[in-house]
Amino acid sequence: MMREAIRGWIEASREKLGTGTLGEGDLQRLETLVAEPTQRILYLYSRSTNMRARIIGWVLYDPTCPDEPKLPSQDSPYPSVIDAVRDGWRIVQFPIPELREFSEVDNRYLGYEFVLEKCETVANGQNGEKNG
Amino acid sequence: MVEVKPTLTDDQIMRFISEGFVLLEGVIPDEINRLIPKVEAQLPREFRDSREFVHGMLLHPEVAGVARSLLGPDMLIPDAADVALSKEPHTGQTWHTDGLPEESYGIHHLQCFYYPEAVGPEDGPTVLLPGSHFRLVDREAIAHYGDIVGQIPLVVPAGTVAITQYGLWHRAGPKLNAKPRQMIKLSYFRTGPPQRDWVIDSEEIPEFAKQATHPYTSEIEGYRDTARCRHTWDWLCGLERSSDISRSGKMFHPPRQLQMVDG
Repeated sequence: MMREAIRGWIEASREKLGTGTLGEGDLQRLETLVAEPTQRILYLYSRSTNMRARIIGWVLYDPTCPDEPKLPSQDSPYPSVIDAVRDGWRIVQFPIPELREFSEVDNRYLGYEFVLEKCETVANGQNGEKNG
Repeated sequence: MVEVKPTLTDDQIMRFISEGFVLLEGVIPDEINRLIPKVEAQLPREFRDSREFVHGMLLHPEVAGVARSLLGPDMLIPDAADVALSKEPHTGQTWHTDGLPEESYGIHHLQCFYYPEAVGPEDGPTVLLPGSHFRLVDREAIAHYGDIVGQIPLVVPAGTVAITQYGLWHRAGPKLNAKPRQMIKLSYFRTGPPQRDWVIDSEEIPEFAKQATHPYTSEIEGYRDTARCRHTWDWLCGLERSSDISRSGKMFHPPRQLQMVDG
């Protein structure tokens, strides 16, 4: 797919070269096309194993963003796991209920943990289109 | 010897059992708050022993009254006073419990967070998760958690004391400015068996009243929380005494005895 995109770029650039209109913007586009995609990880904590259940905790690990202080929030980026999937996130780990020991009185770790990823290319320090 | 009077009622004790903390906003007067040395690590010995600090903060009627209500008349009061002083902006701490959370149903150890100065939303306020004191976890295994519905950033006026059950999940929130933020940690401990000797209006012991479910809990977790709260209530009222649920708290800081404090 990337190869096809580069072929398309070469073809378009040949024409621009002929007309003398090839510019910096075209090179930036090429840079984007050859850049390795960066993985972003989104943890969503669901109220149950059902992907339509309400989200009760979340965190985004994004290596393309600088580590800057960000105020706490009560607003989940998505109402449910299925909404995140609809927005292009891919689930890389589902919760495993069998790992939870049953107890009548003791709760332990938070919710049902879904781990999701998005892989996108980032060029010139600019993030791709992002949600979450 | 100083006598400390309990201040909490049955309803407030039940609330504490469920929430794991009581917030006393602005209770310590400014004349005491202003005296707190701007040091790191530990308040100096001389100041910790001063009458102003012992009577004005450690034995403040509202603060010590809550501790007395939950720990009984023979409670030990803090001797150490750990200081967390942050100046530069930072991304905040990860969620954690301090030390080793306690398995017991009992209440043996209260950890206070005292803020001598006001804390704003961008000052790196401590963030608490109500009800999390029942969740026994490895602190490093919750370090990847982020925002949780129901978390409470302690944006508070000067002189505020949050009295927490040891084991409550917390973290220093992100700090966006260079304004110094000081928090002092103090621990009160139980030494005697529990009995219902807080503020009561009847000798008849009420049943534990089911409390509001925490927003982050699932349905079954809510049932478990209530079951656990009932054990703690019965334990505090002196109704439940089996040895497996009454292990005492771990006194990692040597506290001081109330009897040793001059009146």
